[in-house]
Amino acid sequence: MDAVEPRPPAAEAASAPKKGRVLRATFGCNPNSSSLGVDVTFLLFGATFASALALGLGALLRRSPAPAAEPAQQPAEPKP
Amino acid sequence: MKLPGMPPLLDIARLRPEHFGGVVELRRPRGLLHVDRAMMRELGVTESPRWSGPDDGPAAAVEARPLSAPTEVHVVLSRRCAAGCTGCYVDATPQGAALPFADACRILDELSAMGVFHVALGGGEALELDYLFAVAAHARSVGITPNLTTSGLGLDREAARRCAVFGQINVSIDGVGEGYRAARGFDGFGHAKRALQHLRAVKEEVGVNCVVSRSSFDGLGGVAALVRELKLNELELLRFKPVGRGARLDEELTPEQGRAIYPLAQRLMVRHRIRVKLDCSFAPMVFWHRPSPEAAAFLGVQGCVGGDVLAAVSPEGSLMGCSFAGRAEADARVPGAMQTAWEAGFDEFRGFVARAPEPCASCDYLQLCRGGCRAVAGAHGAFSAPDPGCPRVQEHRARTRPAEPIAGRRPLTVVSGGGSP
Repeated sequence: MDAVEPRPPAAEAASAPKKGRVLRATFGCNPNSSSLGVDVTFLLFGATFASALALGLGALLRRSPAPAAEPAQQPAEPKP
Repeated sequence: MKLPGMPPLLDIARLRPEHFGGVVELRRPRGLLHVDRAMMRELGVTESPRWSGPDDGPAAAVEARPLSAPTEVHVVLSRRCAAGCTGCYVDATPQGAALPFADACRILDELSAMGVFHVALGGGEALELDYLFAVAAHARSVGITPNLTTSGLGLDREAARRCAVFGQINVSIDGVGEGYRAARGFDGFGHAKRALQHLRAVKEEVGVNCVVSRSSFDGLGGVAALVRELKLNELELLRFKPVGRGARLDEELTPEQGRAIYPLAQRLMVRHRIRVKLDCSFAPMVFWHRPSPEAAAFLGVQGCVGGDVLAAVSPEGSLMGCSFAGRAEADARVPGAMQTAWEAGFDEFRGFVARAPEPCASCDYLQLCRGGCRAVAGAHGAFSAPDPGCPRVQEHRARTRPAEPIAGRRPLTVVSGGGSP
């Protein structure tokens, strides 16, 4: 059996799948006619907080069981 | 992050691929995360027809195109309400039009097929419709979270118990005590507070909607204290818009109030230890204070998202970019019409950034703010004009055309001096 040449670290990094990122996060539901615009609570903490939140959410997402994309919905028969 | 025997901290409800990657709906904590294509792959979605071009190419940029469907739709179930509030945005009356139950359900089916996550049910007073809870149950059955805004008038313990079907419920309270009567034209504060207490007894996702007008501005502290007292989960501050019966009122914020709303919201949050949100129409007033653009983008802080994140369906069945403004893009009751309109329509909303006039064109926050509120701009004369309530727009106009009136409505008073901090 031929020995496998170890791959140089740079090539290994290039072929490794890119790590996913969270681009945006909004929490809660909006019951209003106008869209949810600004969550003052989080905006107050600035860019460093947002970066940390993105990393934390990304890590938690990877550890969460994911459902299939867009599961087919079978609507129930509407009854008033 | 996960200890043995502990459930995952994030409970994923579903994934919706988008051109940039996808939207992840969280059941717990309730939220929406926009993620890139790489993260979608890590979550098990290996490919999507919506992913064109390389992952780091221009077609994968978030701003490259609108979402494949709105994330939330405001379904105005009726223009029917007995309260007769003086500034009602939909001009509701006791005999106003209503979206029939069967039409509402068909529309929800189609929104579900498009991938919509949330609907905001409102009116009029949606609780006056005897089929409101059946509509909400139908939304749940097709995977959409129904949320509700109500005046709370007539909401008793039994109705509150049935409200468990909703996600977030907010009760409209524009002032405490006499402040309520001054804003709405009748004394309903006691009823609204009782409704909040009934609702809070059965669920946690209960909050207050407060329309911030020239008159109600000084009473916001009292409303925030009420949110704290009743242990509600949020206070949503909604900018007064001169539409519907509101167009007859002289209640738009003064320039001073417009500049003060964001710092005031922060103070209310800290002082009362409550969650405070400002609606999309307040975006120009927030961006004038120059918050971190990176944080704002990450936290979904945006101006007009009509025809992108948001759409609306009127009681007459019209699909619009926003329930306050815009033309009917389709008859939502016609099968397939909403999907077709979503793919090709809404240019009056979506095209603002590309065609933005000054001072929006040179604003660092244009991509986020999108020119402020189209409804307010339209009420002052031109749908495609910058929001006249934006402090930057007011400063620009004071410099370039101080004597020129704004067509259609009384021009907002412009104060001189004072750049953005």
